[in-house]
Amino acid sequence: MRHHTLTHRTIDASVLTPHAQTRRERLPRLTHFALEYLLALPAGALIALVWANVAGESYFRFAHSLSFVVNDVAMVFFFALVTKEIVEAAAPGGVLHPWQRVVLPAVAAAGATLVPPLIYLAYIQTVDAPMFVRGWTVTLGCDLALGYFVMRAIYGRHPAVPFYLLLAIAANGVGFLVLPPDDPGRTVAFVIAIGLMAAAFAVVAALRRARLKSLWPYVIAGGGLSWSALYWGGYHPALALAPIVPFLPHAARDRGFFVDATPDATDTLSRLELWCRHPAQIALFLFGLVNGGVVLRGLETGLWALPLATLAGRPLGIAAATLIALRAGMHLPAHVGWRDLLVIGLVAGIGFTMALFFATSVLAPGQVLSETKMGALVSVAGIGLAFLAARVLHVGRFTA
Amino acid sequence: MRRFSGTARSIKILPLVAFSAAAVASGWTTPSTSLPAQPDSLKFAVIGDNGTGRRPQYDVARQMALARQAFPFELVLMVGDNFYGSQKPGDLIAKFDEPYRPLLDAGVEFRAALGNHDEPVTVHYKPLGMNGQRYYTFAKANVRFVVLDTNFVDATQLGWFDQTLKAAQEEWKICYFHHPIYGNAGRHGGNVELRVLLEPILTRYGVQVVFAGHDHVYERLKFQKGIQHFVTGSSGQLRRGDLEPSDSTAAAFDEDQAFLLVEIDGAEMFFEAISRTGTRVDSGQLRRGPSLTWFAPGEEARHATSHADASHD
Repeated sequence: MRHHTLTHRTIDASVLTPHAQTRRERLPRLTHFALEYLLALPAGALIALVWANVAGESYFRFAHSLSFVVNDVAMVFFFALVTKEIVEAAAPGGVLHPWQRVVLPAVAAAGATLVPPLIYLAYIQTVDAPMFVRGWTVTLGCDLALGYFVMRAIYGRHPAVPFYLLLAIAANGVGFLVLPPDDPGRTVAFVIAIGLMAAAFAVVAALRRARLKSLWPYVIAGGGLSWSALYWGGYHPALALAPIVPFLPHAARDRGFFVDATPDATDTLSRLELWCRHPAQIALFLFGLVNGGVVLRGLETGLWALPLATLAGRPLGIAAATLIALRAGMHLPAHVGWRDLLVIGLVAGIGFTMALFFATSVLAPGQVLSETKMGALVSVAGIGLAFLAARVLHVGRFTA
Repeated sequence: MRRFSGTARSIKILPLVAFSAAAVASGWTTPSTSLPAQPDSLKFAVIGDNGTGRRPQYDVARQMALARQAFPFELVLMVGDNFYGSQKPGDLIAKFDEPYRPLLDAGVEFRAALGNHDEPVTVHYKPLGMNGQRYYTFAKANVRFVVLDTNFVDATQLGWFDQTLKAAQEEWKICYFHHPIYGNAGRHGGNVELRVLLEPILTRYGVQVVFAGHDHVYERLKFQKGIQHFVTGSSGQLRRGDLEPSDSTAAAFDEDQAFLLVEIDGAEMFFEAISRTGTRVDSGQLRRGPSLTWFAPGEEARHATSHADASHD
């Protein structure tokens, strides 16, 4: 763990009361990225929400003028960092290593990804909002960093946390896989895109084989080709570095999820993190600012579709899938019980960043997008619900 | 317009005659339109948020049929929410074919926009005249109509919108879509984000009139950036008392369902809003020129408006 994380730097543990020490130990020791992430995006979204409702025309002119630069270019840095965390998690010591650990959470994730869309579709049929059908993929968005913080705040170091991470990664992964291209009819462009992506893979594979440790050839050549491939193929170019990051040389062991790289780290993956950190924070702030503005007047029942689907659907889906897995002879991780699964499900129901991202990817501007974005903001209520559930069920920090 | 033989026409007219008698007996007034109804003018009606399949929709549809006796419109613009709730084939008949049967049988053409309650697949329902398109254009006489899908205003649609208006040679340019970009209803009001996307294109190519719905009221706005906006979302649904008139309101009616009749004759556009019971609730005249000019019924021009931020009473 890095020595100058916020808590270590500012508080001398010896002067804390035992109660305060216990409380501090339960709080997650977050990276600068994760901590600032927790502030950057909500701050941007809050400013956007106020601006859109006070001076709507100027806000939307601003937001539309920046949406491409922010959503399709700047967010590349954020997704590079998220991918970096996942790549490291698959290394020895990481939550995804060895792969056998992920089987039950993967089954639970299947339930967590299947049930929310069903609830979503049932709800929009009930409230007669058929135009929302194409927004079903937004239910797969799961705010990994915010959820991780909440899980650590409730559980500290507990097997429920990696269980959550595996589940959230899987849900988002499925979401990315089913994101439709914006214009699936462009056959020629699609062929060009496949060619560009193949070239991107060839370049980074060659760089890796040549044991090149410099970051920039991977980012500029591989990332540039990948961005172009996704853009021309009609897929979201913000994911451009996601297929490139796994090729970056990295440390043999994972230091932990969202644990800062040390400034003297020499492996390429850590250099990526050190370089991307500030651009990613700026990107997240701008992402919240550009996408978080919703005029509250005029919203209809459609805005409840997303939070209802995720906050009810995830716990239900996880429970149902886990039940099937247990019947099939699998076992829950030690110290993870049904009450924990409910809390995990509620935390996984927080869509926020990823739901906003999926929403802007699959829905064009208009009433449906406005209400879905508001639903993504409302899904943050999962934080309160998760704490409430943990308290009522006496799990995590609320264990009697 | 479709022509009928004498016997066939009698059969078609019978229900209307019976309805007229019933309407008079129930205290309704047959709309006595003051529109010029010139022989060669373009005459059309505008309805919105109509597809409930409930009695008020049928009442408005009958009132439209009655109005057509004096004002033989050939076209109905639908600004969306053409259907509410279930939209199975039988529902489409109950919520569209049956209420508008007299108009359909008379050969009146319907041209719909998509609302937020419409199943996307209804673009293929032939009587709606959408030809499988969620946004499209058509011309009648000297008028270019452009129909948008404001549920999803993607870059492709915006580009098409720009190019379509750029290429339009007609003297009148009228756009219609579901979500109003200006309005003073309490439930929704004008959609600011759509305004930012659409208004620059509307003003760039000199669109004179915009029809929208979504709010279940009738409202005529004062000119906004030189454009006459109407909200006609009460032809089936009604949100009584929802209007919160402001300085931008020119006329408003939220006490009953309503529809709009419009006539375009050369450089003149005449309009009347008629309630479910046949009462005229608004009327006026616009004159196209370098900029749009407003007239009250029977008056000469009261305000010569500039193209930017013009307003009228």
